[in-house]
Amino acid sequence: MVPVSIENIASSGSASQAHALADTIVPEEPGVKNQALSGPGSEPLRQPAVTRRTPRISLIVVLPENHVVSPDRLAQGLRAHGNGDIDVVVACAGQPANLSALQRSVGDAQFLLAPAGTSTEDLRELAMRQAPGDIVTLLSGALLPATAMDAELFMTS
Amino acid sequence: MPSPRPLSVIVPVRNGNATLARALTAILASELPRDDYELIVVDDASSDGSPELAARYADTVVRLTGRRAGPAYARNRGAELALGEVLVFVDADVMVRPETLPMMLKLLFDHAGLDAMSVSHDQAAAAQNLASQYWNLLVHYGEQTRAGTGGNVASPCAAIRRQVFLSAGMYDEWRFERAALEGIEFGRRLEDSGREVRSTRDLEITALKQWDVRSLCGEVWDRSVLLTRSLGYQRTHVAVPSEAVFTLSRAMAPAFAALCVVAFSAAVLPPANVPVKLAIVLVGAIALNFPAHRFFAKARGIPFAIAVAPLHLLMQAVSALGLCAGWVMRDAVGDREPDAATQAYAEVGVETWPPVPRTSGR
Repeated sequence: MVPVSIENIASSGSASQAHALADTIVPEEPGVKNQALSGPGSEPLRQPAVTRRTPRISLIVVLPENHVVSPDRLAQGLRAHGNGDIDVVVACAGQPANLSALQRSVGDAQFLLAPAGTSTEDLRELAMRQAPGDIVTLLSGALLPATAMDAELFMTS
Repeated sequence: MPSPRPLSVIVPVRNGNATLARALTAILASELPRDDYELIVVDDASSDGSPELAARYADTVVRLTGRRAGPAYARNRGAELALGEVLVFVDADVMVRPETLPMMLKLLFDHAGLDAMSVSHDQAAAAQNLASQYWNLLVHYGEQTRAGTGGNVASPCAAIRRQVFLSAGMYDEWRFERAALEGIEFGRRLEDSGREVRSTRDLEITALKQWDVRSLCGEVWDRSVLLTRSLGYQRTHVAVPSEAVFTLSRAMAPAFAALCVVAFSAAVLPPANVPVKLAIVLVGAIALNFPAHRFFAKARGIPFAIAVAPLHLLMQAVSALGLCAGWVMRDAVGDREPDAATQAYAEVGVETWPPVPRTSGR
């Protein structure tokens, strides 16, 4: 399970760049066929209007370059929404340091890999376009700890 | 569970791409530690990508699908998710100042008896056209001259203790689908139950919305009709000193006098002197609305006060017609209610998302 990386895309902090990025980034969702995202002028990916009894919940984890989120924090974010089904979207700029740990903790998450240097705001907007939830919570990662030992603990604990 | 934060900021939005980014950026620039508040944006079935824009800034984005449900409904959905001890409702077309949120939080924490509060518009609307400047100043005038007690727990920025909000039954999402008077009804309901609601002139926000004459007429018409049809003008008047319609309708008697001036001038002047008649009317209208125009002149200068005089007169006329229409509709067809399908769903108690509007506000 190797998320698709996208090269040769200029990263930028501007909102408009998020549309350009969405044009080319391919999400990986384990067990689900890869799906190309819609173009910049099109509507965000949304489920068709279906009557539901309860809102669909999504959790977006935003990981800019050199940021990580510990599996513990991720689990805490999931627990905050109870035991119901939650769609998890992990949006990363570049290859996250603890990708394998994340995949172990949320195996059915959808991973979006944007080019290194993509801004936090662009990642959030990109992930929002992919998140199917009616209620979407956004969780930001923390800056990667400086020392190797701290980083190792952070990423695997 | 995440640890509760003292403050939850709730921003309802519908097709707010033009102003939403500035509104949310201003909230994030508050002199308040980021960990002390959560930012919840509730999108009311926008078609312009507002949820994606909101995701750039917010902690939680709620997407309401289907047809427009209104700001009252959107705020209620945000409040249901909020974890903060205090809820602050900020419109998507206003900019808070850096000190606004921390000061509101401090006032509520320092005054145990204070349950809810609202702030006022500042004098400088972001949009520079005449209609926007006029409307902003008019609202500012009403808020500043009659600040103090008086409940309007909604636009443009208001804070309330979460427990009080929930126990009072939240906003009335049953009747207030469009117009921005849900805060007036809710404030009155709070005061009727012995809660203290205060509007302050010391804390201000900047309006971002651009108005034109047509949208102003629509706004004044909607507010006026709703005031008399759903709230009852006399019962509301005392409780809501800052509502813009009251600023207009207070001068209805002078406006009537202005019409008398027109009639008088038509009687005594020859038909060819139309400009003279118009000048007399304009001077008469300014003279009869002297307090408001003195405020306009002081804030923007005499040319501005003269320029907005016809607009003020037009708004007064629209307001008068709207208030009358509201009374007629109240007697003829009754209060506003959702469509029959919504009422049927509510009566049966169908559980769905987004939820069927609730009647608990009444």
